Amino acid sequence: MRAEPNLPPEALAAIRAPFLATGAEPVDAPILQPLALILELAGEAMRARLFVVQAEGGQETCLRPDFTVPVVRQHLDSGKLAGRYVYEGKAFRASPDADRPEEFRQIGLERFDDAAAPVAPADAEIAALAWTAALAGGRDDLSLWLGDIALFAAFIDDQGLAPSLAARLKRVAARPRLLAAELARAGAEPETQADSGKLAGLLSGLSEAEAATVLEEVWALAGIDPVGGRGPAAIAQRLIRRAQAASAPALTLEQADSITRFLAVDDAPQAAFAAIRAVAGAKAPALDGALSDWTQRLDLLAQAGVPLERTRFATALGHAFDYYDGLTFEVRSAALHPDRAVAVGGRYDGLPARLGGAPGARAVGCMVRPWRAWTGGES
Amino acid sequence: MSNPLILAVPSKGRLKEQVEAWLSDCGLSLSVTGGSRGYMAELKGVPGIQVRLLSAGDIAEALDLGEVHLGITGEDLLRERAGDVDARILLLRALGFGRADLVVAVPKSWIDVESMSDLEEVAHDLLARSGRRMRVATKYLAQTRSFFARHGVVDYRITESGGATEGAPAAGSAELVVDITTTGATLVANGLKILADGVILKSQAQLTASLRADWSGERLAAAERLLRVIEARAAAHDSATLAWPADPREAPVVEALIADGASRRPNGLLVAASRIGQASLALTAAGIGPVTASRPDFVYEAGCVPYNKLLKRVQI
Repeated sequence: MRAEPNLPPEALAAIRAPFLATGAEPVDAPILQPLALILELAGEAMRARLFVVQAEGGQETCLRPDFTVPVVRQHLDSGKLAGRYVYEGKAFRASPDADRPEEFRQIGLERFDDAAAPVAPADAEIAALAWTAALAGGRDDLSLWLGDIALFAAFIDDQGLAPSLAARLKRVAARPRLLAAELARAGAEPETQADSGKLAGLLSGLSEAEAATVLEEVWALAGIDPVGGRGPAAIAQRLIRRAQAASAPALTLEQADSITRFLAVDDAPQAAFAAIRAVAGAKAPALDGALSDWTQRLDLLAQAGVPLERTRFATALGHAFDYYDGLTFEVRSAALHPDRAVAVGGRYDGLPARLGGAPGARAVGCMVRPWRAWTGGES
Repeated sequence: MSNPLILAVPSKGRLKEQVEAWLSDCGLSLSVTGGSRGYMAELKGVPGIQVRLLSAGDIAEALDLGEVHLGITGEDLLRERAGDVDARILLLRALGFGRADLVVAVPKSWIDVESMSDLEEVAHDLLARSGRRMRVATKYLAQTRSFFARHGVVDYRITESGGATEGAPAAGSAELVVDITTTGATLVANGLKILADGVILKSQAQLTASLRADWSGERLAAAERLLRVIEARAAAHDSATLAWPADPREAPVVEALIADGASRRPNGLLVAASRIGQASLALTAAGIGPVTASRPDFVYEAGCVPYNKLLKRVQI
């Protein structure tokens, strides 16, 4: 395992100081995390990057790939609605790339609020904190890249698409190959009904219980023994939805073009928002709401001391961990490759609920990599 | 044999029998030498080669780590090695046996799932509705991961399976499987079907070189001797010689056949085995004959393609 070198204590202290100044509660996390839980939350693509550890006869565990999941669990265990937690320690991710450290230091903060709390001030606080801490490392070539996962959903909602198509586009937004396939299909005629489409037509006129019974009869006639975790009702419902999706119109060429232009927006924030607004067309109520939140976020960032001329907004900014669902941001150094961000963070309201928390709660956090932030560090 | 080339061959099962049959077809045979348990052997007919008998899985690992120079094992096992395996091994010859497909198979009762894109949607629905990821039973972790990623399927979990993978959905320990199949019968018997675009790899046994192994000394020369025999035998299986009494009218016909891929031999032509009938007919139609077709035992070409590939890639 390749470990990152240590930076001088005074440099580390300077990067740590903005985190301590928040007054957040310091927490630690076990180095060994349950493997099944991490994979369940982060997805199987994460497995290649995990160090898996298992004692004889014991549960499979992995070295913590980050602190977010354990900190969320500690917060939920505390039973409190709101909380702010700061952490510092080594995280571990395997890499085939020989010059990339696999054991590295992170300092981060996770902030939780109840459902009623406004999101923009919390977003601005966390992004400004990441910026301030990164800047304390001494680099003078930093920029703050902003993005928003929820903006794409708002943009799609305003396009007046068939529900199945809109849902599919939101789902594939972060998956370039599927998105490209969907855009390439633009202008195509709806598919003609296959045999399963006829069955779907029959099922769609029935109640859920009746549809399930019909499907069980189909299985019996075809001599199929049902195995696996999906019941007849779930399969009948999806047959109907699939048939509806297949017969729904594909994107028009104009719609595909505006999606492509939307995802290509990458500019200074005000110019980016103007470009997004221009792509969306005259009536875009959902997008207008989301963009007005951004005006507030930018004001708050400026008040917190982030120079807006060093910020950028890119609609396509995403993350390897797929639990972000709102604001995303990265602090990048011009001297480092864009995939070696100095600090990253974002909003992940959905994650606490997936770990058993109350639905609707708010969560946002950030993490800085001191070795990358320090001028004498990663190059 | 101070610095022998080490060739790893399967030590058990059907694959072992097939490799032995193939070697003996090439005029080579194994004679067991080392130890009472017989896990070492020599290859009669080619000097400078020591044979090591290993399980098919261990052969893939030994090739990857450079512990053996050449090995015969299934491509499915080689592709399961982590990272960029093509930087560490070189496939020299597909052997035409040990065929098996690595496939994605889902319950037949999922009549709404026919393709990987259906699977992507179902996996997403399952996660959104239940908060659980779809479970895939397999022992082929690396290939499952990269194939699913290529098809944009992300909302799933792998449950590692040691054996009897195809029974996992019926047992309730997974929703679907990624597994090796030859005829598909075992999958069908377990209530599963293969997705239309769910074939991950069409695998067969491959003669493979390790690029990490130490190829110094006489080892490359030994590899060349072995590869030439193998290639000569493979070429012989694909060709036939045609002979006929010399005839003044033959020149234009022979030239046409040469333009079509045949090559000249002292008393006739060497043609692809699949073209025996066609070529003979062209000659007899011109009044030339009788034409005798015979199958050669070995055809040694001047160059040896797999050896040249190997030479370019190994460090000495």
